[in-house]
Amino acid sequence: MRAATSAPGPLVRPADAGQLPGTSPRIVVEGLGKRYRRGAAHRRESLKERLGEILGLPGPRRDEDDGQFWALRGVGFSAGAGEAIGVIGRNGSGKSTLLRLLARVTAPTEGSACLHGTVGALLEAGAGFHDELTGRENVFLSGAILGMRRKEVASRFDDIVAFAEVGPWLDSPMKQYSSGMYLRLAFSIGVHMESDILLADEVLAVGDLSCQDRCLRRMEEAARSGRTVLLVSHNLESVARLCPRTIYLDGGRLKLDGPTEQVVAAYRADLATGQVGEDPSHVAG
Amino acid sequence: MSVLGLEAERTAGSAHIAPVAGIGLPDGHELWRYRDLLYFLALRDLKTRYRQTVVGVAWVVIQPLAMMSVFWLFFGELLGLQSEGLPFPLFVYPALLAWNYLSGALNEGALSVTSHAHLVGKVYFPRLVLPLTGLVTGCVDLAVASVLLIVLAGAYGVAPGPEILALPLFAALLLLLTAGVSIWLSALNVAYRDVRYAMPFLLQLWFFLTPVFYSSTILTGPWRAVYRVNPMASLVEGFRWSLTGETAAPALSLLPAALVALLLLVSGLLYFQRAERSFADVV
Repeated sequence: MRAATSAPGPLVRPADAGQLPGTSPRIVVEGLGKRYRRGAAHRRESLKERLGEILGLPGPRRDEDDGQFWALRGVGFSAGAGEAIGVIGRNGSGKSTLLRLLARVTAPTEGSACLHGTVGALLEAGAGFHDELTGRENVFLSGAILGMRRKEVASRFDDIVAFAEVGPWLDSPMKQYSSGMYLRLAFSIGVHMESDILLADEVLAVGDLSCQDRCLRRMEEAARSGRTVLLVSHNLESVARLCPRTIYLDGGRLKLDGPTEQVVAAYRADLATGQVGEDPSHVAG
Repeated sequence: MSVLGLEAERTAGSAHIAPVAGIGLPDGHELWRYRDLLYFLALRDLKTRYRQTVVGVAWVVIQPLAMMSVFWLFFGELLGLQSEGLPFPLFVYPALLAWNYLSGALNEGALSVTSHAHLVGKVYFPRLVLPLTGLVTGCVDLAVASVLLIVLAGAYGVAPGPEILALPLFAALLLLLTAGVSIWLSALNVAYRDVRYAMPFLLQLWFFLTPVFYSSTILTGPWRAVYRVNPMASLVEGFRWSLTGETAAPALSLLPAALVALLLLVSGLLYFQRAERSFADVV
């Protein structure tokens, strides 16, 4: 166990978990932590307040320490090529924060992570889709937002459309799409992005069963072809099917890291006994 | 790993993720790798802007045409403001082109980061492309609106002389200045939403301090020097001079204008780079 665990639990010690012999790790995470200020997203500092501060005027007092919490802290692990790792945990356990940090959406407060190779992040289905644009136009736009070059998207365009099964609608505005078509096209762009590392968040929660199945299969192929996949999901069946190894986050801490079967069993046991840590957003940091 | 060899285009290097501190300039290489994103965002804005409008792209011409007509009627005909020997419409229009580029790009750019909050919080990409998109769409609008200038010049029989060779210089300076202000405002607007409300008003003030519908020759004595703090004054006169060849060239005053534009751009980049770290958490 590389991360300090405060809560006692059934520990699983992976022997440098799942790393292929002779390959250097693709992802090395050390002591990664992210502190948020509660309500930071809602409290917008106005210029007036700031000016008041500068001029020393009495204003709405703000306790600097108030409401700070660690969404993630002291998390460390490494992953090799071809590894598919599930990330599980309750809501607010830090799963999404971990992915946001690795995807470079936001910077960590402490610790570090090294990612070797190209990174594809699927944190949201349909990033940048615009309703007024056609499906065809959106494929290129969304691809560019995900970091693909125009040529790259063009060369995979047919595969993307075939996977999403939206052929006849390709030149209609996206606002006419059903939500299923919308999500299929969104996911299809993401999985056709060639990258050494694939970070995916809850994307399997979309679409009907057949779509989910194809998405999972697509990710299995990705891992088999040597890509490193990190999958955050609440769907334990999906995790069990795709990922031989799983990381269990609890209260922003890495609680377990090991073979999926054991980690998922421990998680289920914790859920059943209510032995899960506090949601960090309710704990004063 | 791509069979098509496209992967080489993207850096196969490694990303080191750690807390960041200090100041620096944005990563130019990375911005360059994301140039297609700039293209597709600009394309999106151009397409969606006109797809559901009745007269479509004609808006780009109607707006400066209407403004020019009003200035012509009130300031030219009724108030009799002098126009340095040019027909009044031809005096106003080149300046209006330059001004509209700035104000159009700023209107798009200042709110660009906040209006893409959903993307900024979910996807990594150089955030700098957001305030820069308005610069690209502005160029398209400028090109379309320039058609009317050709019509005007033809109607009044004014042909541009060799002065037009200097136009790229003024255009480049306008681009630098607009980029600097747009980058500043877009980052400021994330922390202080006041920008959104202050901007229309400040733009209006700036417009009156810029010799678009009047000639700066009406200023006398020390005011002339103070006036030059506004880089747009020299740029607008540069556009007018290079396109018509009739008015006075903004010779030495171009230096402070260039300096201010450059200063705004560099400081804007530094501020943006610093502010960018918390965009995803704050926006």
